[in-house]
Amino acid sequence: MNIFERIKRYFQDKRGKKSAVKRYTRSTAGNITLVLFLVLGGLFSMLPLIYCVSTSFKPLDELLIFPPRFLVHRPTIGNYTILPDLMASLKVPLSRYVFNSVVISFFTTFIYIYVALMAAYSISKGTFKGRNAIFWTVQFALMFNAYTLAVPQYLIFSKLGLIDTYWIYILPPMASTMGVFLGKQYIEGYVPDALLEAAKIDGANQFKVFWSIVMPTIKPIWLTLLLFTFRDIWSAVPSGKIFSEQLKILPQVVTQITAGGVARSGSAMAVTVIMMIPPILVFLVSQSSVAESMSSAGIKE
Amino acid sequence: MSKLKKSRGIEELKSRYGFMFVLPWIIGLVMFFLYPLIQSIVYSFSDVAVSPGGVDIKFVGLKHYIEILKVDQNYTTELTTSLTSIVYSLPIILILSLVLAMMLNQKFRGRIFFRALYFLPVIIATGQVMKLVFETTDDSLTEMGVSGGMASGMITVEDLTGMLNMSTEVAKFITTTINDIFNLIWSCGIQIVLYLSGLQSIPATLYEASRVEGATKWEEFWFITFPMLSRITLLVGVFTMVELFINERTPLVERVYGSMLTGQYDKPSAMIWLYFIIVSAIMGVIIFLFNRFVMKRYEA
Repeated sequence: MNIFERIKRYFQDKRGKKSAVKRYTRSTAGNITLVLFLVLGGLFSMLPLIYCVSTSFKPLDELLIFPPRFLVHRPTIGNYTILPDLMASLKVPLSRYVFNSVVISFFTTFIYIYVALMAAYSISKGTFKGRNAIFWTVQFALMFNAYTLAVPQYLIFSKLGLIDTYWIYILPPMASTMGVFLGKQYIEGYVPDALLEAAKIDGANQFKVFWSIVMPTIKPIWLTLLLFTFRDIWSAVPSGKIFSEQLKILPQVVTQITAGGVARSGSAMAVTVIMMIPPILVFLVSQSSVAESMSSAGIKE
Repeated sequence: MSKLKKSRGIEELKSRYGFMFVLPWIIGLVMFFLYPLIQSIVYSFSDVAVSPGGVDIKFVGLKHYIEILKVDQNYTTELTTSLTSIVYSLPIILILSLVLAMMLNQKFRGRIFFRALYFLPVIIATGQVMKLVFETTDDSLTEMGVSGGMASGMITVEDLTGMLNMSTEVAKFITTTINDIFNLIWSCGIQIVLYLSGLQSIPATLYEASRVEGATKWEEFWFITFPMLSRITLLVGVFTMVELFINERTPLVERVYGSMLTGQYDKPSAMIWLYFIIVSAIMGVIIFLFNRFVMKRYEA
């Protein structure tokens, strides 16, 4: 009997009586061990988060204990309630930092998603010369760490007179190649040429095709990019490039509070915990798409 | 004839549109990636002096590269530590993330929650906020006389010896193991996602057929799961290597960045370029060998 006949027979069995399937599922004990393992591993991956949250609730005397305790014994919300007082000593109101952070993060993220995916669309479906060269550059750049380029970048900023302006936050992420890479792989895998042709025959121009055909089809990609780009910009500190207080963003406020020493570490943790919330919210929105778009990177070489 | 001409016109229009679409991004890439990149290559071959009006560059050829290898004793040790750490971390990370991915791929209640849980470090780990967490904890701990970063300060040796009456050696062993596990799980986030998607792309009929043939779970893994994941494994491997080599906590990268902050650009540039060349060469060899032996065997 060859394998296909066996499979056929297996399916017939399966339809006939459910017990044939059940034999291959795990026992309750197996299930419990599995979940236990995952909980254990999950605890490890959550350790710093738990530590942050627990430290943010520690009263002053517990912050100073040696050796530092992992968990809080007498939780207090003092570290949170003192924040407005700490902020009051800042030169500009806290709302300005929040406004800067939110506006810059979202604005930059959306611009980048648009620019990168437009490039990805054109590299994967366009016909102009040098497409391959561009894609090679993209792959090469993926291996690079931004740190090595910090100095020449700084010189460019100062030459263009961009130091101490909002452009410091907005422009550098535009050079990121991850969006173009993921976008190109996904568009090649999931956007059929026939769809684009059909749209063109109906009279849509390229911008229209990109905006109303390509973008909805590649939703997982831009949700993934939303997550990663937002995460990076939200927590970025442009060291030495911003001096005016009214242009600074939230991470810099955290740095200022941290400078208060051990006694202030509870408040610093409290701000950190608050700072973690937006990326986690973005993650909850985009979570299901991340796996899909990451895997498309592996479909083709 | 006229038809041909017309179609060429459309092609031309298309290609012009195409270029227009890439242009905004290309400008960003050239300004903030390619130009700085070329600058840093130039720096690595010259003496750079910073003056108020900009930088003075004097070409000196291979001087810095030779100096790094002959004079600087730290460089070669840092290089070898980075390379040897890859040798053991890479397989461990690959195996751990595959095992976790296979667990998360099982059907049980709350698996979506667990998947999110294992991916969460990716969202909060990088970036300045988390760096601050590491730094503040690090500082406060060193002030108190406990060395090491947050990971090693989480559960201290004193904690264990005090609470459980353990000998220092045993306690030390336990704390380092815990911290290692912690670090490993933190570097598995994206790898798990990649493996999960790989596992889900394996057709279920393969498993069903093998079950009918009487294969055990063990055989199923080695004859179906493992070979079907070979391409994803290459992707995960390359990704992990890039992460491990180039992350900012590598001693070499740390030192280069540190000396760049103090205003020295020429020799650090040479250091990072030499490192980059060696790393790319090693990765190239690994990818080549993998394609040659592993992929061929399973795809034939």
